[in-house]
Amino acid sequence: MPRGTGLRMFTKDFELPTEEELTVQEVNVTTSSLRAGAFHLGKSCEKENHEFILCREEEKDPRKCLKEGKDVTSCALNFFRKVKKSCLEEFSQYAHCLDQSSKDLNYRYCRNTQAIFDKCVLENLNLERPEFGYFSRAQVIQTDRPKPEGYTSVEYPDAPPPIPEVDRPRAKYGLRNYWMT
Amino acid sequence: MAARTQDLPPKGGYAPINFTRIPARSYFSGYQLFAGYAVVTAFAGYVYFRTYRQIRNEEIEMRSGQMAIQPMLIAERDREFLKQMRRNRVEEEKLMSGVEGWEVGKFYSEPIYKTLPDNKFMDPIVQEFFAHGPSSAFSRKVLLPLTS
Repeated sequence: MPRGTGLRMFTKDFELPTEEELTVQEVNVTTSSLRAGAFHLGKSCEKENHEFILCREEEKDPRKCLKEGKDVTSCALNFFRKVKKSCLEEFSQYAHCLDQSSKDLNYRYCRNTQAIFDKCVLENLNLERPEFGYFSRAQVIQTDRPKPEGYTSVEYPDAPPPIPEVDRPRAKYGLRNYWMT
Repeated sequence: MAARTQDLPPKGGYAPINFTRIPARSYFSGYQLFAGYAVVTAFAGYVYFRTYRQIRNEEIEMRSGQMAIQPMLIAERDREFLKQMRRNRVEEEKLMSGVEGWEVGKFYSEPIYKTLPDNKFMDPIVQEFFAHGPSSAFSRKVLLPLTS
């Protein structure tokens, strides 16, 4: 099939979900607010996020992860609703500070408002800000999700057997890199 | 006619020619210079690595914040992507209804992938996604980010 011939879409046999299946209430907040609530959001919706990303990575098909995606969105919505109910003023102050302080919404300029927001969230939602670098770290997750179809574990049947352990005599003339020992 | 006098050196001879070397005044000895170099370099290195650590920590924090909201954004984007794909398919069906032998999603009944089953999802190329939209959308979403 040469490039540039235009119309190449999914065929009729390809199952696409309908508009109704895909329509849920989305999280309708601006970037500065998202960034302001990011850490607590990530912590409170950790399980949903992990399940969704695991599904995306394993299935490599957005159609199969719609339920998990909806869970993620509803969890985020719930979080923002709770914040709005209890810490709206602190939250807006922090988001406004992020928005106005730098062009890339850097966190470093807003430590004071951040501390106020953290305190409010800790008192009302009982959510602590995760420690530094928490979301940048690789995490092992526990899940009930079955392995995807066609999953093969990494086994190499023709791998050579490991070298047997034998007592070897000490090197007669020392080592070549004697200064490193 | 006045008596002629010979041009002679002054009485007692010329003043001695000053050819002694006057070296520039040296403020530091060689060892002091080496020591000063070491001190300045060490201090600069300290400041450099402190700044390096600070900048790296900021980057990690920004990345962490981005990663925490990434699943939510991907979920939303996936839904919109699938919606658009359905719209595109409906649009193609409408557009190519008068063409003889045209099957939706194929090029005159020749599929893109021969060996894959029909229901297998493969990421479409980006031109497919914008195929039925205005070209301004393609420019804004695809070409403009390449230049910025």
